[in-house]
Amino acid sequence: MSNTNSLLTIKDLHASVEEKQIIKGLDLDIKPGEVHAIMGPNGAGKSTLGYVLSGRDSYSVDSGSVTLDGEDLLEMETEDRARAGLFLAFQYPVEIPGVSNLEFLKASVDAQRQARGEEAITSADFLKEAKAACKQVNLPVAFLKRGVNEGFSGGEKKRNELMQMLLLKPKLCILDETDSGLDIDALQIVAEGVNSQRSADRSFIVVTHYQRLLDYIKPDFVHVLSDGKIVKSGDASLALELEAQGYSWLQKEPVEDELEG
Amino acid sequence: MSEWLESAITRAQGINDWLTPKRAHALDLLANTKWPTRKTEAWRYTPLRPVERTQAKVMSDKFNLLPVAITDLSAIEVVFANGQFDQAQLAQTLPEGLSIALGGDLNSAQQADALNAFSTIKPERHIFGLINDALAQDVVVVSVAEGVEIAQPVRISTLLSQGSESHTRVQVVLGAGSKLTVIEDVQAQGDSLNTAFVEYDIAAKAHLEHYRFALQTGSNVAIGGSHFNLHDHAKMHSTIIGFGSELSRLDTDIIHAGEFADAKLNAMYLLDGKELFDLHATVEHAMPNGKTEENVRCIVADRARAIFNGRIHIHRDAQKTLAELNNRNLLLSDKAEINTKPELEIYADDVKCAHGATVAQIDKQALYYLQTRGVSRSKAQVMLNFGFINELIDLMPNAALAEWVRPIIRERFAQMEVK
Repeated sequence: MSNTNSLLTIKDLHASVEEKQIIKGLDLDIKPGEVHAIMGPNGAGKSTLGYVLSGRDSYSVDSGSVTLDGEDLLEMETEDRARAGLFLAFQYPVEIPGVSNLEFLKASVDAQRQARGEEAITSADFLKEAKAACKQVNLPVAFLKRGVNEGFSGGEKKRNELMQMLLLKPKLCILDETDSGLDIDALQIVAEGVNSQRSADRSFIVVTHYQRLLDYIKPDFVHVLSDGKIVKSGDASLALELEAQGYSWLQKEPVEDELEG
Repeated sequence: MSEWLESAITRAQGINDWLTPKRAHALDLLANTKWPTRKTEAWRYTPLRPVERTQAKVMSDKFNLLPVAITDLSAIEVVFANGQFDQAQLAQTLPEGLSIALGGDLNSAQQADALNAFSTIKPERHIFGLINDALAQDVVVVSVAEGVEIAQPVRISTLLSQGSESHTRVQVVLGAGSKLTVIEDVQAQGDSLNTAFVEYDIAAKAHLEHYRFALQTGSNVAIGGSHFNLHDHAKMHSTIIGFGSELSRLDTDIIHAGEFADAKLNAMYLLDGKELFDLHATVEHAMPNGKTEENVRCIVADRARAIFNGRIHIHRDAQKTLAELNNRNLLLSDKAEINTKPELEIYADDVKCAHGATVAQIDKQALYYLQTRGVSRSKAQVMLNFGFINELIDLMPNAALAEWVRPIIRERFAQMEVK
């Protein structure tokens, strides 16, 4: 149900990893400023969606289309998708010893500014911004000097992802189970960070297994992903329903009840 | 035997000085040593053609060769220019407790000590070590008195002009409880050949911080060794960085001659073009309760070749030894070559000893992660390669040296092509 105002339009997407089909006909339409939650049982294809949208090697699109701001996303290299405004906050961010967090952040911001034809930011100005971002996500400034995610706890890694989002200012953020492994305090910090970034021209896909995160990040729409398809969509109240009843009732529903996002 | 070695032996026979007894011993051993070929295990991957074909000649002129400056670091300079110790470049006044002198200038008692110590730490199996014994113009003896900590690093520079041949030799003696930093550095212009050997005797509770750089070697044939003898509770921390050359061969020997000694060795080499770098690192745990940690990392691009042989020998009496050897290699092209061989020989039963060697391409997950943030694939590759080496640079105890070498390495990566 896409139209010209959509930020992201996914049509009948089929995708597989190592010849195993995971996404089996997924449709989703997201307008600027909207927050969509994608919930679903383990193995439904929630993380795969993020990998496919970001263009990870070994994840192949078999059919369907994806446009971001009207551009064919699937034709782009991973880095060009990021430069076009796509951001994926990973469930398990990679540790890169030897590459400092600051160097990594600066290289990311530089690459994106350059792609947009903007002037390069000076190291001093960037350091100021990075320090402010650290503060906002409650990470000690010393983490800028450490290797990317090196020796960070689970919660610190998630906050580091959030910090990257603050600095990169993407149009579409995909948060892949950002709540997993977080205690309630860390969860609140992450949610506050996300909420501070909500704006009329920035959209979010919040992928989560549990309803808990959605107490803090209020979604406009909730979709249930099961066996590679969206099997039900609704407003925030759907998440509460799922919390109470689990996923099994949805997986058995007849095909005609499927809704598009 | 090669013509080159024959001529070297003839030249050595003509030298008559205080080192003559040691030179004669080395010549005896050389007479019974076969010139290495591909069948010689220690030289299997390192053909000696560049030595056999060298046109390099010993020069008597020092050509005013000066060591490159290291930003924010003021060192006590020990300079060998075309093989000759350049007295003029040594500071007139040295810190209290430190002495640096040419063996030939020592008084007879000191000279007798130096002669006794000569070639006792460097094992006799190193053929070029024997050649250095026979041909070194003299020995520079660096010693630190008991209990003295020298803050200023001593830098030993081996400088060679185009077409020059040099053989330099240093003895470093750290008195009990003393502390010293030594930087060995080779800066060679083209078509030169050098052998540079340093022996370190680190007395009880003394602490040596050591660096060996070979960053300006180009078409040089650079052969050398750093050999360390550790007494009770002695400590050493060594960092080796090499860019390779037509032929670069380095032998290190760490000997735990006392108990509770602690040795760390971090070596990294970055090779491009048709360069070759061969590191043979040997650790002898002869006494109990010793500790060794070795990290060797290597990045090989284009058609370059890296050789690493890491031997750890734990003798029967060396109980409670902790030894770890970690060798990781990255190949940037399918024509690049890495030959790595960890060798553990353990004769004691109560020890902890681990080793591992990996040869890999770049980490695809990390590459993807960087790309998802907008960094191009090629830039991400350079960042990851640099990170691989930078991990060890971060461990350099001397911050000024680390800051100096980091951009040099970055520059090197910018030149190394990923194919």
